[in-house]
Amino acid sequence: MATGSDRILGLCIVATAGLLFAYYTIWVIFLPFVDADHVIHNLFLPRVYAITIPIVAGVIALGCLGVFVGLLAAGKKKQN
Amino acid sequence: MATKLVQWLTGLSLFFSVWASIVFDLVPVSFDQRIYQVVLPLPIYLVIAFGCYALAVVGYRTATFNDCVEAAEELKEEIMQAKADLKKKGLKMS
Repeated sequence: MATGSDRILGLCIVATAGLLFAYYTIWVIFLPFVDADHVIHNLFLPRVYAITIPIVAGVIALGCLGVFVGLLAAGKKKQN
Repeated sequence: MATKLVQWLTGLSLFFSVWASIVFDLVPVSFDQRIYQVVLPLPIYLVIAFGCYALAVVGYRTATFNDCVEAAEELKEEIMQAKADLKKKGLKMS
């Protein structure tokens, strides 16, 4: 049975996912249709970052994954 | 009924052909500049949306994690049966 802390952690993860999705949706889908001098633009970074941040983060994550798997494979080879 | 792989490949190739035709100006249809601004990061947007969905599922399953009492009882019973069966066939258990 999920304990209280499990439930809180789970709900925090769900809330994080929802907030991230809402923020990114507003940033990418709705912001181009808002006037450029509107105050809401102060809450968001310039539009280039909507593309570059995910790409850079994805490349870094995939790179770390590749290094990790490579280290595991190298360790296994040494054992045999 | 096509396999899941074929379904996904069909959907993805359809999406990317439409996306590329708009982004690389392959069709003689012109859209508002703002439409281009939305369409350009659409693949990344879809990846992020999928990531958010996956994260939400993990969180939801963590919050509503359940004990499987019946399955545990059933498993214990099956272990007992297997042990009895193996003993009958002459296996020594520690």
